[in-house]
Amino acid sequence: MISSVRRFVPRSVRSLASISSSHVGPFAVFDRKAKQLQRDRAAAKDGGKSSATVDYVRDEVADRLLERLEDINRKFSTILDLGSGPGHFARLLGPENATRCIMIEPSEKTLYRDPDTSFEVPVERIHADEEELLQIVEPNTQEAIVSCLSLQWINDLPGMLVQINRALRPDGLFLGAMFGGETLFELRTSLQLAEVDREGGISPHVSPMTDTRDVSNLLGRAGFTLLTVDIDEVKVAYPSMWELMDDLRDMGESNAVIGRRHFIHRDTLTAASAIYKELHGNEDGTVPATFQVIFMIGWKPDPSQAKPVDKKSTMQNVI
Amino acid sequence: MTSTTIIERPLRRLAVHSTTTCAAQASTYGRCILATYTDVRKDVCKEEFLKFGQCLRDAMKRKW
Repeated sequence: MISSVRRFVPRSVRSLASISSSHVGPFAVFDRKAKQLQRDRAAAKDGGKSSATVDYVRDEVADRLLERLEDINRKFSTILDLGSGPGHFARLLGPENATRCIMIEPSEKTLYRDPDTSFEVPVERIHADEEELLQIVEPNTQEAIVSCLSLQWINDLPGMLVQINRALRPDGLFLGAMFGGETLFELRTSLQLAEVDREGGISPHVSPMTDTRDVSNLLGRAGFTLLTVDIDEVKVAYPSMWELMDDLRDMGESNAVIGRRHFIHRDTLTAASAIYKELHGNEDGTVPATFQVIFMIGWKPDPSQAKPVDKKSTMQNVI
Repeated sequence: MTSTTIIERPLRRLAVHSTTTCAAQASTYGRCILATYTDVRKDVCKEEFLKFGQCLRDAMKRKW
């Protein structure tokens, strides 16, 4: 009996993907439960050490997001950090930015990974699913909502932005960063080519990403004004595809698309690793991975805000 | 999780062999796909992959 169990266990956990539920509904692209498990596992591994070593992408993006916050000439009393992780963004806040920060994160282990002493401003942690934002906070109460690299796993992004808008008080700020567009296109194309050659078909291994052009439309439709959307890239070089995949798993960013296959055949994996190197490899033998980040700023409308200048005013003589 | 190290080992070995021990065969296979990547069909680079796969099996001392 014991030997049969021991033989079974490695097989079931060996794959790089986790088990998908079969439910598919409207706006259900991602398996949120699987995502939470992946993030819990990633944060708990080696007592949080392996998760901390792969903070490099999130820390870099949090840093760039803070730059955008600092461009806004205002001090906030409370900033709500949606999908905060262990506090990549909150950690960078100083007393000159905010008096306190509330972190909302669906993965409990990730949320409590780092001690309170790593923060300069007092933080409050709420373990909850950010997709249910309006059940956590009252509408029209928040001064500023920030989201650093969590929106890419939201199923109903238009609805999420509407919730954020409703949670904000008039003249409230939404500042966000999410993976989008061309993120991990090298991995996506390599796996697709490998699957076509080896197995004769393709399946989703890299999430569908929001297109940069759609973001300003979505923000506008959710009721935000004075929009600023820009994109930025973080390029990381890895020794090979395997290290990239290990790091993605430790980041808790493994595949969580509903209907994904539960495993990748080792022939497909090795084929993808060979293709990755030949198709995208750098001259020094490493392989690049691109993380494209969409930064967005939107404000909840308020009569006190500056209005766009009337079109007719361009007819005036400026000399 | 103590089990992860045990589980990871075969995959880790596969990773090492596919990028170092069998790097030459991997490269030949990769170049074959690269030459045809606008029109990839099942088994377009079967020959090259069989050599790559054989090298891996030898290196892993396993059959699959």
